[in-house]
Amino acid sequence: MPNKLIDIVNVSKSFDDNLVLDELNLYIRENEFLTLLGPSGCGKTTLLRILGGFETPDQGDIIFEGQNINALPPNKRQLNTVFQKYALFSHMSVAKNIAFGLKIKGKSQSYINDKIRYALKLVNLEGYEDRTPDSLSGGQQQRIAIARAIVNEPKVLLLDEPLGALDLKLRQDMQYELIRLKNELGITFVYVTHDQEEALTMSDTIVVMNQGYIQQIGTPEDIYNEPQNAFVADFIGESNIIRATMVEDKVVKMLGATWQCVDVGFGRNQPVDAVIRPEDIDLVKPEDGIIEGVVTHLIFKGVHYEMEVLANNYDLLVHSTDMFPVGTEVGIRVDPFDIQIMNKPESEDEEAVNVEE
Amino acid sequence: MMKNALKKIYLTLIFILLYAPIATLIVLSFNSSKTRSKWGGFTTKWYTALLQNRDIMNALYTTLVIAFLSALIATLIGTAAAIGIQALNRRMRTIMMSITNIPMLNADIVTGISLMLLFIAFRFSLGFTTILLAHISFNIPYVILSVMPKLKQTDRQTYEAALDLGASPVYAFFKVVFPDILPGVFSGFLLAFTMSLDDFVITHFTKGPGVDTLSTKIYGEVRKGIKPEMYALSTILFLTVLILLLLINTAPDSSTNRTDRKHTLSRPRAISRFLFRKVVPSCMIVTIFLGGIFYGSRESNSSKNQVIVYNWGEYLDPEAIEMFEEETGIHVVYEEYETNEIMYPKVQSGAIAYDVVCPSDYMVQRMIENDLLAEINFDNMPNIKYIDDVYMERCRDFDPENRYCVPHLWGTVGILYNKTMVEEPVDSWGILWDEKYQDSILMQDSVRDAFGITLKYLGYSLNSTDLDELEAAKKLLIEQKPLVQAYVVDQVRDKMIGNEAALGVIYSGEAIYCQIENPDLEYVIPKEGSNFWMDSWVIPKNAKHKENAEAFINFLCKPEIAKMNFDYITYSIPNSAGQALIEEPEYRNSPIAFPDLNSLTNCETLQYIGEENDAVYNRLWREVKSK
Repeated sequence: MPNKLIDIVNVSKSFDDNLVLDELNLYIRENEFLTLLGPSGCGKTTLLRILGGFETPDQGDIIFEGQNINALPPNKRQLNTVFQKYALFSHMSVAKNIAFGLKIKGKSQSYINDKIRYALKLVNLEGYEDRTPDSLSGGQQQRIAIARAIVNEPKVLLLDEPLGALDLKLRQDMQYELIRLKNELGITFVYVTHDQEEALTMSDTIVVMNQGYIQQIGTPEDIYNEPQNAFVADFIGESNIIRATMVEDKVVKMLGATWQCVDVGFGRNQPVDAVIRPEDIDLVKPEDGIIEGVVTHLIFKGVHYEMEVLANNYDLLVHSTDMFPVGTEVGIRVDPFDIQIMNKPESEDEEAVNVEE
Repeated sequence: MMKNALKKIYLTLIFILLYAPIATLIVLSFNSSKTRSKWGGFTTKWYTALLQNRDIMNALYTTLVIAFLSALIATLIGTAAAIGIQALNRRMRTIMMSITNIPMLNADIVTGISLMLLFIAFRFSLGFTTILLAHISFNIPYVILSVMPKLKQTDRQTYEAALDLGASPVYAFFKVVFPDILPGVFSGFLLAFTMSLDDFVITHFTKGPGVDTLSTKIYGEVRKGIKPEMYALSTILFLTVLILLLLINTAPDSSTNRTDRKHTLSRPRAISRFLFRKVVPSCMIVTIFLGGIFYGSRESNSSKNQVIVYNWGEYLDPEAIEMFEEETGIHVVYEEYETNEIMYPKVQSGAIAYDVVCPSDYMVQRMIENDLLAEINFDNMPNIKYIDDVYMERCRDFDPENRYCVPHLWGTVGILYNKTMVEEPVDSWGILWDEKYQDSILMQDSVRDAFGITLKYLGYSLNSTDLDELEAAKKLLIEQKPLVQAYVVDQVRDKMIGNEAALGVIYSGEAIYCQIENPDLEYVIPKEGSNFWMDSWVIPKNAKHKENAEAFINFLCKPEIAKMNFDYITYSIPNSAGQALIEEPEYRNSPIAFPDLNSLTNCETLQYIGEENDAVYNRLWREVKSK
């Protein structure tokens, strides 16, 4: 396991009376692609700006390679940022933009020229040296912004929703580019986004945040398959969150029936939440199901059909490649390992929200 | 079709309305005839004359230096302020913007007076520095106003990106933020430059003696009668401001840059950019540099050894000043005023320590009463012997012990009439009430003069404060109103010369000038008596160069200088040795210039009647004018 590169210890930050980060603890390892994921206002960008040096934490410490860098100004930090709106210098050419940091460091012209060529090659924009930023498309500008940051060979690259302004296709292409870049450069990426798909695609580690608190840290698979609370379950992908009672280990009661599951350690007859992903619900003949329901909505989504099934007063969301017309009576089955049991939310930030951004 | 034509006509009308006055001015500046009503052929001689007028060229240079320096300093302060304001939170920013906007909306006169008061309170002596400070302070809001929007457009992230790439805050500002706001800074500079160039009111209140900007200079010249050089100067000013405005509006703008997908600049923008980056700055630098040499060479001979003179406009032959400077080595700082009432508060406020002032009789009295004058040491003034005793005697009316003043010029008020239009003998003020002369009578537009002659006509004193007498005079003036062609001051002269009126109330000195220009004119002092006035040199109590002032007055008492000055303005001199030197017998013995003083027994000097009575006079005069 590689070393901790950055250690964030008990960091709090508030703007006026608004607490944005509350005693947050997190560490970032070398060569990690770490994503801070959460809805807007969750504190992820503030955390990134604290790392970049643009904000000072009200309390707590930022430890970079064992050194406290709380008081270090941005221009002295060994990390570089790729900004959401690119923040290219519009009165300078592409080459001058890329050379900006190197010139300040007093590198020789030949070194700078080599670096510009190398960086442009890396972002697939060879020959764009003399263009002005204004004459480039959004995706090209973003790649120049990345090139400008990486020529400085930072230990960490901070990316603040860098793909937010791009259209869907370009965004997907850029996701692959970023993964490739990260692998070629071998440096740490700290990536901020509110897009869960982006997070799942690129990250080694995802940190899900809400209202200034970390909700869950884990690999994309962990986060997706085993959300620790309703917020995470709801925010990462679509899910059915169902009120349930844990009868005993591996037995849960919900939707008017008793189900087998694989979770243990919740005690006996405890109220819990059960999470079932829409693609994990199997629709079968009425007599084969554990419970029965009626299809109330049907939408074709391309890869699959999306249906709503009314069962015991619950609207269950179901994704399936089989189509059942509206009005069909169906039986419902779920495999035990597809039922994820969570404790009831203990605070507001752990509750499920409808994420609209 | 019809509608379009109407639209065009309407637009043309508006433009004619807007620009006809300026067009007239420009045309007249090329008119070789001196009168406004006649086209005498195309000439550029007024421009040449203008360039040869050192006073005006000095004023021009002062204007440019003040405009340039104040704009430059205001740009520095204003830009820094804008950056500071931008960094504040929203509420504070709104408050600060309102605070900086108020001075722009404030009336210039309020700004001017308050600045003057501030300077006086802090014992600044008014002069070049105070004008500069005033201009800087009123320019700052304009700079903030034009920099602010550019700062708002500037993305904070670009600044942070520069920091992120290792730039220090200062380097990041100049390398990244400044280029973005540069167009705003530049147009702020030009706006400030134009505002400074344009300002009259604030400069008027904050300037000191001997320093003039073009606007105050023009104002000073205009009140003496507009010379065609002034048309030329105004034309140049107008064109300068026009060019500056065009430059401001075509300033390279980064927002147009953003949409410009081409790599090369289009031609007009390249030209304007060239103008901005190269031509304008270098022109300014050359002007300032050359002017500096010129100005410096002129200033170097102005040592501390000076005398600050505050005199009526065109009341002293400039050559006499030069002679005085040559003879004594004392530098004369010369400033002019239009009326006693303008002069008085300036001296009273003490903002400027004048050394020599030339108030009229009643004003001398008022200044003595208010303890504003220093006693003159007549031991330093041997030439006082050339001033005839009879005039010193007259001075006692307002300076009872002859301690404060030395007579400079004197005269009477009388009727100027055109012999071809008035055939009967004129010997009474009564002719001004004769209906025969309806619409050809010119009255002085001045309360004391108008009431003075009416009171005299009624047989009362010129200085009457008796309400019944004043009411009677008021009634008479109202009766006279339908007959009067116009109430004017300086135009009596021009209108009488131009045969535009038959009768006019005028000062004797002006009458002589009118007679020279139009021999049909005759001057008479009516038998009921009139105003005998005398303007005298005094030394204010706060004068810093009292001995120089005495030397100056002493010099002017010399007969040959007094004579020179008579030749210059044809006002009566209280100096019979000087009178004897006048070459032309018709002037030397002119009954207008030098009437038999014994015949003037029923003439009185105006006296200071106190503020309350002044108010009564003014109220009655308003009633006359508004009827």
